Amino acid sequence: MADRRRINGPIGATTPPVYEAVPKRPAAKQQPAMRKIFLKTGVTPSASGSAYLELENPNQTSPQKTSLKLACTVHGPRALPRSAPFSPHIILTTHVKYAPFATRKRHGYLRDSSERDLGVHLETALRGAIIADRWPKSGVDIIVTIIEGDQDRDAPHNEDDQGWDMMNVLSGCITVASAAIADAGIDCVDTVAGGVAALVSRDDAAQPVIVVDPVVAENQKIHAACCVAYLPTRDEVTNVWFKGQLPGADILLYNKMVEKSLIACRSANRVVIQGLNETVKNVQNTT
Amino acid sequence: MSRHQAYRNYDYENDLDEFDGEEDEYGEGEEELSPEDKAQMDAGTAEVRSALGPRASKVTTAQIQEALWHYYYDVDKSVAFLVNKFIEPPAPKPVPSKPQGGSPFSSSRTPDMQHGMERTGAEWRSRQKEQIPGVFTLYTPYLVPWLQVPDITARRQQHFSFADFFQDMPWLNVPQDRQTNFVQPLYPRGGLLGGSGAPPKMSKLQQLAAARKKKADEQKLGDKSKGDDSKPQVKDATKQMGKMSLGLKDSGKTPRPATSSLPSSVAEADVAPITPESRKRRNSDLLQLQGPGAKSPPGVPDTSVEEPSPVATAAPSIFAQTLLGSAPPAPPVPRTFAFPYTAFAPSVSDAFSGPSPDDVVLNAQAKASNKKLASATKKKGGDDKVGQAADGVKALKVDDTPLPKSKNLDVLSEYEKSKGKKSASFVVVGHVDAGKSTLMGRLLLDLNVVDQRTIERYRKEAEQMGKSSFALAWVLDQRTEERSRGVTIDIATNRFETESTSFTILDAPGHRDFIPNMIAGASQADFAILVIDASTGSFESGLKGQTREHSLLIRSMGVSRVIVAVNKLDTVGWSQERFDEITHQVSGFLSATGFQLKNISFVPVSGLLGDNLVNKSTDPAASWYTGETMIKELENSEPMTRALDKPLRLTISEVFRSAQSPLTISGRIDAGSLQAGDALLVQPSGEKAYVKSLELDSEAVDWAVAGQNVVIHLSNIDPIHVRVGDIVCDPKAPVNCIDTFTIKALAFDILMPMQVDVHRGRMWAAGQIVQMPATLDKVKGTILKKNPKIVKPASVARVVVKMSSKVPLEAGQRVVLRSNGDTVAAGLLE
Repeated sequence: MADRRRINGPIGATTPPVYEAVPKRPAAKQQPAMRKIFLKTGVTPSASGSAYLELENPNQTSPQKTSLKLACTVHGPRALPRSAPFSPHIILTTHVKYAPFATRKRHGYLRDSSERDLGVHLETALRGAIIADRWPKSGVDIIVTIIEGDQDRDAPHNEDDQGWDMMNVLSGCITVASAAIADAGIDCVDTVAGGVAALVSRDDAAQPVIVVDPVVAENQKIHAACCVAYLPTRDEVTNVWFKGQLPGADILLYNKMVEKSLIACRSANRVVIQGLNETVKNVQNTT
Repeated sequence: MSRHQAYRNYDYENDLDEFDGEEDEYGEGEEELSPEDKAQMDAGTAEVRSALGPRASKVTTAQIQEALWHYYYDVDKSVAFLVNKFIEPPAPKPVPSKPQGGSPFSSSRTPDMQHGMERTGAEWRSRQKEQIPGVFTLYTPYLVPWLQVPDITARRQQHFSFADFFQDMPWLNVPQDRQTNFVQPLYPRGGLLGGSGAPPKMSKLQQLAAARKKKADEQKLGDKSKGDDSKPQVKDATKQMGKMSLGLKDSGKTPRPATSSLPSSVAEADVAPITPESRKRRNSDLLQLQGPGAKSPPGVPDTSVEEPSPVATAAPSIFAQTLLGSAPPAPPVPRTFAFPYTAFAPSVSDAFSGPSPDDVVLNAQAKASNKKLASATKKKGGDDKVGQAADGVKALKVDDTPLPKSKNLDVLSEYEKSKGKKSASFVVVGHVDAGKSTLMGRLLLDLNVVDQRTIERYRKEAEQMGKSSFALAWVLDQRTEERSRGVTIDIATNRFETESTSFTILDAPGHRDFIPNMIAGASQADFAILVIDASTGSFESGLKGQTREHSLLIRSMGVSRVIVAVNKLDTVGWSQERFDEITHQVSGFLSATGFQLKNISFVPVSGLLGDNLVNKSTDPAASWYTGETMIKELENSEPMTRALDKPLRLTISEVFRSAQSPLTISGRIDAGSLQAGDALLVQPSGEKAYVKSLELDSEAVDWAVAGQNVVIHLSNIDPIHVRVGDIVCDPKAPVNCIDTFTIKALAFDILMPMQVDVHRGRMWAAGQIVQMPATLDKVKGTILKKNPKIVKPASVARVVVKMSSKVPLEAGQRVVLRSNGDTVAAGLLE
């Protein structure tokens, strides 16, 4: 039964704008052209830590740009309720939620399986970074809201959604959550960062190439994608999510893809560190 | 005022000054004035002008009139207003500065804007003119900050100003008093993402950590200030930086002083957190994976792993600007997070050098218990050394097990204090079908222990079985077999209370097959009700049967008080002759058995109808009886004196499992007392148990004394060691298990060396009369004849009985010897 307490939008796709001339598919960008990240911490005052991350495609020409916008809030560390059993380390709870309008297809208010899946991946990625035993008997809630889900709204509707954009979303989630955790002052071994690499073909004839930070809308066909959560200082990977079929099931290709996604991770990490440094500097200037 | 006058008074200077069309405003206002208003206005204007005197030239008529209109022709107020407003305007107000600790929103506004917000529209307009005299295009491009993309740092200072927003507003001729006051909008402190005005929430843990950190810092500061006064600011800053858990833990690099950096340089400096070593290792790993001759996969262009150019962060999108840009910079909150365990003050880390609080408590407890043990052994040790050693060992053993706690009450004094109601138990005996159970059922019904509905139900059920007269007996006869056979088989207990006494009924079976059960019941009783069937023929058969045997048994079990209930007198029409006849015969017989006549009372009753039980008989035929009712007789019966100060003795009458304990026993305390937490010894198994809790009348109590029927929840004992008929006793003064004993027995039948069953309460054991050392004089107890071959009935003899197994028996206990289903002797252990 539908949730009658809220005014829900239409469940199916919303009508896209109709253009006289179909917007052209953007020209292939140069390699390696990663989208620039905008990251800001301390955006939500009521949370102990928060961050906002934005990935926009500058090459996009259509009126509605494809972009990824994530807001993350961290609540805690706070004492576990009395009813909870004793825990010698911090209990990490991750919630990833698409805003109803974040994607072409509207999301409901209750978390669906893909959102829960993202939450599990995010938890795995962060668990490796947080020094959990510094906070016994406490819990932390990490809530990532996907404001815009990196989907091309102008894409033809017959193109079935294979969920490749979830890779980009997850990598963004990892990065933004890492920044928010640092903003909340929770001890970590390193700032974890997420990055994506994909094996794509520009068109049907072309050879597949590995691209870093793939814009799903730009690519004709994505063969496989790999999202990695990475601790650059420690050179450790906390989470790998690989999806798709490699031509010939090539292990070397797999390695290459992971390598490529590590590049994306490192660049994302730089942004995180810069954002955090800015915050520290602001704090020190004001105090 | 006419239009003509208006033109005459037209002040061009003023008009130039206030190019707002204000003359239109009052012109229109004038036209609406009524003639009375006009007259009042003219008079008022003249008065004001005179009041102002020479200063009147500084104000226009229009201004005067406006003021008058505003103040409802109050000359004084208008003059004051005009003086303040136009003639001697006060020096420009200083910018109202709010206290710094106030709303962060207001403090972050530019003074200019704040000014605009807190003035009235008129003031605002005049200010406008100062800034842009004679210029009417008030649009400035920076009104809409989101139209341009500013650099991130500049964006912070440029907030959307509502005063600016209204800058190009043509105020036309809206009168001054109708113009609004701009009030600072209530914006959430955190911009669109919300949040209260309160400082960011800190969790309790964070507060604790911060407090500890502060304490530690203070301590450090105190230490340092003793030696070195100059603490470099930069060092403090770097320390704070280091405490941010950012993962910037490059061992070689010292944290950069954060004070000397620009955003770009920050990016540059922190771009490569990967040390060359780690980078190399990663590549070599990859090479290893690929192997020496590995080529890049076919069909995939080899894109070598190259470091991308340093990532500059993107500018925020319009969305982000709107979302974050409306928020002022976060208020300065010291956000330093200490590592929980590194920043501890030395005093805190010292906490682990000593014993933990738990250890302290445990040590103290251990010490205390040792002391107690020592004192206990010392006290007892005065008597003899052996006892001391034994007690010590016993005490040690007791301390080892987790025991139920004893309150160490002085049970006897508690009993004296709590003396509320007397408690007494009586056994109901008599020949089979004398109506014992029915009598008791009626008693309980009349005392409202059982409600009428239950009886009705029993009656209905009994009718179905064709035994409607048994309905009352079913109150006590609960077993299916008892109900179907219409006889009581085992002792049934029930309780009722009168004003002074609480009674326990022990309804004994009358049938000769169940005499052992009757013995068990009689052994628990203080006195007895002997029920005699008064109907023709029944009394006579009873006197030959169990009436006789029962009275012998209860006498030999030590019961001295008997109430004889002459039952079923209604069947003989309440005949007094019959009653007297029975009284005569029974009292003669009972006195022969050994009862004293003063301890015997007779009550004519009807169990089925309830006459003379609780209420006097209403039957006119029974009016001859003037004595007490049954219940009064019961209350008058003085209960036996209890052996309260003797060691504990309790015969187990039931063993069962309950919620409180896997092993629960019930029985009547024959002697002594006990309380929760006491140690008990169960004989003949010789196992020790502890009283977990006690129940008296299904209420938990702390103690119990002799004469009470208690339910005891035991602990620390295996159920296999406890059986019905076992004796629970004090471990300090245990009952010994013996297999041979001597009794002074009253023979009911011919006694000779023969197989007998020995009954003591519930306990039953097979044995043999091995020897009869002497026959004794009934009254004096002197030996009449040594080693008789046989002992005749109704004579007293000393008999030695050997049992097949050891049973707990001690001197002073009463036993019954039965053989072939007949009671042959009853006696007292010597």
